[in-house]
Amino acid sequence: GKNEYDLLVIGGGSGGLACAKEAAQFGRKVAVMDYVEPSPQGTTWGLGGTCVNVGCIPKKLMHQAALLGSALKDAQHYGWNISQPVNHTWSVMAQGVQNYVKSLNWGHRVQLQEKKVKYFNIKGSFSDPHTVRGLTKAGKETVVTADNIVIATGGRPKHPMDVAGALEYGITSDDLFWLKESPGKTPLVYYLYIVFIEIVDYICLTGASPDVSLECAGFLTGIGLDTTVMMRSIPLRGFDQAICFTTQQQMASLVTDHMESYGTKFLKRCFPTKVEKLKSNRLQVTWKNADLDTEETDSFDTVMWAVGRAPDTKTLNLETVGVKTNSETGKIIVDASEATSVPHIYAVGDITEGRPELTPTAIAAGKLLAQRLFGQSSELMDYDNVPTTVFTPLEYGCVGLSEEAAVQRHGSDNIEVYHAYYKPLEFTVAERDATQCYMKV
Amino acid sequence: RTIKEKRDAYVQRLNDIYENNVKKAHIDIIRGYGKFTADPEPTIEVDGKKYTAPHILIATGGRPAVPSDSEIPGASLGMTSDGFFDLEELPRRSVIVGAGYIAVEIAGILSTLGSKSSLLIRHDAVLRTFDSLISSNCTQELENTGVEVWKHTQVKEVTKSPCGLLDVTVTSAVPGRKPVEGVIRDVDCLLWAVGRQPNSEGLCLERVGVQVDPKGHVVVDEYQNTTRRGIYAIGDVCGKALLTPVAIAAGRKLAHRLFEGKQDSRLDYENIPTVVFSHPPIGTVGLTEEEAVAIHGKDNVTVYNTSFIPLYYAVARRKVKCVMKLVCAGKEKKVVGLHMQGLGCDEMLQGFAVAIKMGATKADLDNTVAIHPTSAEELVTLR
Repeated sequence: GKNEYDLLVIGGGSGGLACAKEAAQFGRKVAVMDYVEPSPQGTTWGLGGTCVNVGCIPKKLMHQAALLGSALKDAQHYGWNISQPVNHTWSVMAQGVQNYVKSLNWGHRVQLQEKKVKYFNIKGSFSDPHTVRGLTKAGKETVVTADNIVIATGGRPKHPMDVAGALEYGITSDDLFWLKESPGKTPLVYYLYIVFIEIVDYICLTGASPDVSLECAGFLTGIGLDTTVMMRSIPLRGFDQAICFTTQQQMASLVTDHMESYGTKFLKRCFPTKVEKLKSNRLQVTWKNADLDTEETDSFDTVMWAVGRAPDTKTLNLETVGVKTNSETGKIIVDASEATSVPHIYAVGDITEGRPELTPTAIAAGKLLAQRLFGQSSELMDYDNVPTTVFTPLEYGCVGLSEEAAVQRHGSDNIEVYHAYYKPLEFTVAERDATQCYMKV
Repeated sequence: RTIKEKRDAYVQRLNDIYENNVKKAHIDIIRGYGKFTADPEPTIEVDGKKYTAPHILIATGGRPAVPSDSEIPGASLGMTSDGFFDLEELPRRSVIVGAGYIAVEIAGILSTLGSKSSLLIRHDAVLRTFDSLISSNCTQELENTGVEVWKHTQVKEVTKSPCGLLDVTVTSAVPGRKPVEGVIRDVDCLLWAVGRQPNSEGLCLERVGVQVDPKGHVVVDEYQNTTRRGIYAIGDVCGKALLTPVAIAAGRKLAHRLFEGKQDSRLDYENIPTVVFSHPPIGTVGLTEEEAVAIHGKDNVTVYNTSFIPLYYAVARRKVKCVMKLVCAGKEKKVVGLHMQGLGCDEMLQGFAVAIKMGATKADLDNTVAIHPTSAEELVTLR
C-alpha cells in the first residue's frame, strides 16, 4: 500500500511490544515508537515500558529484598546465628535492580531487531489517521505512515494539583526505583483514599491491580526505612461503591493491619496541604487531620506521591484524528476488539478505558489484536477472571468477583461463602503472627 | 538444637491438639498393641482385653526399612528418618543411603545446614519413579547444592571407627567398568532411607483371612475393602500413594460409605499432586511423559518444556533454574501430567492440580491470564 508500514505501534511497553512482535511473526512490516518523557524530577529510562522500568519488575525485586530482611529475622528461630539487627544498604540493592532492568531494556532492543521490527526512539503525535510524526531528543523530525496504528502509551503517576510544593519536592514511583541513594530515614508515602475508591471500582469490575503506595510502603518498611502512609478518606459516594468497597475494605484492612504490625505508620483521614523545603534539605509536610479537625506538620527526607496513574495523551494529538477519550479519565475508549472511534486505529494496555492496568492483560490483548489484524483470527480478549497479586509484605492474591459483587449478580440466596484464617507452618517455629492470613472462596 | 527444640514443641502441641479432637468427638482411645484373635467374628485383643465391632479399620502405617546385619554387616549402626528427628546436634559428616524423596529431602537439609553430606544411590539418578526431567534435574541440583552424590554405589559394611564414629565401606559399580571399593571414614550420621515397610506382621491377619502382598501390604480394592468382609485398610499400610492427604481422604470417603450410605464413596487415586521439599522444591501431578506415551502412544502425546532463572535471582550471584514440563494427550491436548522443580513450585502446584482434575486442556491453561511477575505464569504461557 501507500503507507510505509503495515503496523505502527506507539509505545514500547508490555502491550505495545507484544503486539508488534506478534505482528512481525506474520511477516508484516512493523515499527515501534517509544519515548520516555522525563519525570518532573528528571528520571528517565529505556525501552520496555512501565512494567520493566518503573513497575512490576523493580517492584518485585525490592519486595523480595524486604522479604529477605524478614527471613533473616525468622532465621534466628530456625537456628541460624545472625547478629541482629541486620541493616540494609539501598545503593547495593538499587544497583543490582537497575542493572537488571537495563539488561531487560537491552534484551527488548535485541528482540525487536531479531524480529525485524523498526524501532524509533521518538515522541509521536498524530497528523492524520495514518501518519504520526515525532521528534527525536535532538529535535530531528521523523514522519511514519502505517495502515494500522496501535496506541499503547500507557500511563504515568499523577501529582496532586492542590498541594503547594507537590511537583517540586515530591517524587513518584517513576523516581523511587531509580534512586541511587536511599530515600532516607523517613520517606513519606502519600496515598489518597479517593483514588483508592476509584481503583476499587476497577477491581470489582475488571480486576485491576491496586496499590502502588502499599507495595512501596511495604518494601521501604521492610528494608528498614521509617515509612508513613497518609491517606484521605472520602464519604462513600453511593450504595454501589459501598458494596464494591466493603470486600476490598475487608481485604485491604488485612493488608494494612499487617503492615501496621510490620512497622509502617498510617496517618488515616489526613490530607496534605503543602510541602516545603527546609534549610537542612529535609521536607516539611503540613496536613489536615479530618478526624481531629487539626493541622499538623512533620519533616521527612522524601515525599512520594502515589495518588493514581493517568494516561499521557495530551501530546498524542488525538483530537486531530478524532480518537475519542473518556472525559473524566482521559483514557482512550475502545470496543471489545480494542478498536478506537477511528478505523484502523486501536489501543491496548493502561491507556484504554475500563481495562485492568496489568501487564499480562496488555500482552494478551496486544497479541490477540495482532492475530486478528494479520492472522485471520477472530478471538477477542476475555477480561473476566483475571487473577492478580498485590506484592505487599503479606501478599494478597485475588481472582473473580468480590463477595458483594457476587451477591449483586446472583442474589444473596444463591451465594455461599467459605472462608478461613490459617497459620502457615513456616510461621510456627519463627513465632510469626499469622493474624492476617486469610482465604475466602 | 535451637530448631530441634522449637520443632519438637510444635509437634507436641499438635499431639495434644489431635488427642483433644479425638476426645471431643467421643472416640475412645485404647493404648497398646492390637492383634486379631482366632474368634469367629473379627476380634482385636489388646493387653488381654478383647474388642470387636462390625467395622474394623487397619491404619497402622509403616516404618523405615533397615537392611539386616546379615545382608550388610553393621547396618544397625546406622539410623533411619526416626533417628534423624532425634538428632540434637548437626552431624559433621553425613552419609545418606537411598534415592527416594526421603533421602533427597534429608540430604538437602543436612547439607544446607552445614553437614558434609554424601548421598549413596544404587543407580545414576534419584527419584527414578518421577518424570525423567525431575529425576535428572533433582540429581543435578543436589550436586549443585554441595551434596556428594555417589552413583552406582552400595554399602558393603559398616564398622565402628577408632574414635567411636562410623566407617562405611562402599562399592561403586559404574556400568562397563570394574567395581571400586572405598571407605568413608568418621561418619557421625549414617542414615538409611531405603524404603518403608508396612506395620502388618504383628496383626495376625491370617487369622481373619486378610490378604497381604509379598511385601506385607494389606491388599484392598478401590473401596478400601480387605479380603475379609467388615475389615478395611487405608494409608501407608496398603502401600499405595504413601501420603497424608491421601490417607485422610481415603479415610473420610470410607466413613461416608459406611455410615452415610454413600455406596459409591471412594478415593480417586488418579492425579494425586505431590511435592518433594528438595532444594528447590518439586511439584508433580499426573502421568510422567513415559507413562503417557505407554498409555496413549507417542503420536498422541505432546510435551511442553521450559527452563528459566526465576526473577528472584536477578540481583543475586547464585542462579538456580526452574524447570517445568506439561504432558498433554490427544488432539484436544488434555493435560495429563505436570512436573516442575524450582522456587515456589511447592505452593504453585495445588491450583494446577485442581485444573488437571477438572480435565483442563492446554488451551484452558493458555486462556488463563498470567500473573506477573511470578514463576507460575510460565505454566500458562508455554509454547
